[in-house]
Amino acid sequence: MERKLQERKVNNIVCRCEEVTEQEIRDAIRKFNLTTVDEVKRLTRAGMGLCQGRTCGSLMEKILSEEINKKVSELLPLKKRPPVRPIKIKLLAKKERESE
Amino acid sequence: MNKTADVTVVGGGVIGCSIAYYLAKKGADVIVVEKNKGPSFGASGTNQGACPLQLFEPPVLELARQSLKLYKNLSEEIGYDIEYDNVGALVCSVDEKQYSDMKKHVEKKKKQGINVRLIEREELLKLEPTLGENVVVGVEEWESCGVNPFKVNYGFACAARRLGARFLFSTEVGKIEKDKDKVTSVATDKGKIITNFLVNAAGAWSPQIGKMLGLVIPVKPRRGQIIVTEPTPLNKRWRCISDADYLLTTAFDLKATEVSKDKRIKLGVAGVYLQESTGNWTIGSSRDFADYNTNVTMQTIRYIAKRAIKFIPKLKDVSCIRTFAGLRPFCYVDGLPILSKVDNPQNFVIATGHAGEGITLAPITGKLISELIVENKTSLPIDAFSFSRFKNAYLQNLG
Ligand SMILES: Cc1cc2nc3c(=O)[nH]c(=O)nc-3n(C[C@H](O)[C@H](O)[C@H](O)COP(=O)(O)OP(=O)(O)OC[C@H]3O[C@@H](n4cnc5c(N)ncnc54)[C@H](O)[C@@H]3O)c2cc1C
Ligand code: FES
Repeated sequence: MERKLQERKVNNIVCRCEEVTEQEIRDAIRKFNLTTVDEVKRLTRAGMGLCQGRTCGSLMEKILSEEINKKVSELLPLKKRPPVRPIKIKLLAKKERESE
Repeated sequence: MNKTADVTVVGGGVIGCSIAYYLAKKGADVIVVEKNKGPSFGASGTNQGACPLQLFEPPVLELARQSLKLYKNLSEEIGYDIEYDNVGALVCSVDEKQYSDMKKHVEKKKKQGINVRLIEREELLKLEPTLGENVVVGVEEWESCGVNPFKVNYGFACAARRLGARFLFSTEVGKIEKDKDKVTSVATDKGKIITNFLVNAAGAWSPQIGKMLGLVIPVKPRRGQIIVTEPTPLNKRWRCISDADYLLTTAFDLKATEVSKDKRIKLGVAGVYLQESTGNWTIGSSRDFADYNTNVTMQTIRYIAKRAIKFIPKLKDVSCIRTFAGLRPFCYVDGLPILSKVDNPQNFVIATGHAGEGITLAPITGKLISELIVENKTSLPIDAFSFSRFKNAYLQNLG
């Protein structure tokens, strides 16, 4: 019973957008001695999805902090990559600012 | 306590880690010093991972060709999937005026032994319905690939570590000590490393390492910006599509970009549109000099987006989910890499200046530099990349 729970826990999907499981994240952290959420993102794709980690970011931080025995507040925060929300390419192409 | 090593490598990007791997494979005792918390925080973590062979010209072409050969079996060799993706490469023009240049390009590439094929507009549109009405002509070739640059970087690092290489992260080289014509040790913020060889693989920061030895390394950061989209269904035939402008102006011809009246060309905006196997597109890129600034700028992103829609119109309704910028180590004298020993200190090796081609060239660079250090000769000629080529350039500058 105990075991089953554990198994279910690690197969939890952490990142829904990219379908990355908790186990995949823990494996990557251990294999590469990762210490930053940015690196977890690059190697597992967790946090690279449509919501850019807004849903899964804090969970990723929690897992990393557990793995490396640090407080979440001690971790290097995930680098912000604009835009804040997905934006259609045609809008990016249009956005004209006279001053430029 | 002091550490000791046969070879100390400054920089844990794709170039430093490849060198560390090939050196460790030859049995050398290697330390890699990287100021960031892991590899891939420099250019190696902010690029597209495209390796389009037909965009290379001699003398770099031969390096690219050999590197692509090494990439083919790299996942197997290092025991880690670098996501080698056999995407080939299509170079495409949306400008009638470029038609004759594209024809010349095909002839030249054939002579260079690359199996290229010119494709006229109608056939392009038939083979790849996502291409826009604007396309004029294309050149395809299937020796090229894409890779996941993070995985190449971490894969090399991990394989090197398995062979005994040591990695010092969050450690910055601040000073280099010399005795007569030899480097003796490297001082970092975490202590000293006594070393027989020192390799400068610090990318866009490599001039700072040179300066510690009184050497001028003519490299400066050339910024590039990228748009990443949400996934779309995979293209039928081509997933690595380059703007012919890349070939004909922005990447290689610095003068042409400088004198151009077209703001887009001035910002070096010419696309490589790469669709990853996940369906996401990376839309690149631009080339400007902004010192060490890694911000994305709205103006450049706008030009990149506008240009992309010309080639692949359906992208207009696809969402951008992130953008980023990185710094290419660009040799401002001739745009070529520097793979070289120097006269003094004689145990100092430079491996940088890979500009927008460092992912493609990483495996061969590691292999050649390991040969240069361990055997003092290389399996491919590297004279064209020697540091001594700058002597004249400097005299000219002074004169
Ligand atoms: C937008 C963009 C798109 C690109 N697209 C492609 C592509 O599609 N295909 C391709 O082949 N190439 C591409 N490139 C080029 C490629 O990314 C680079 O050529 C390559 O990553 C260079 O690797 P590097 O290891 O030399 O540099 P970096 O990855 O920058 O590594 C240098 C490292 O040295 C470290 N360092 C610096 N100073 C010190 C010090 N004093 N002490 C300790 N460490 C130090 C830095 O922290 C850094 O990690 C692109 C580049 C950009 C910017
Ligand atoms: S849930 Fe991870 S990116 Fe959206």
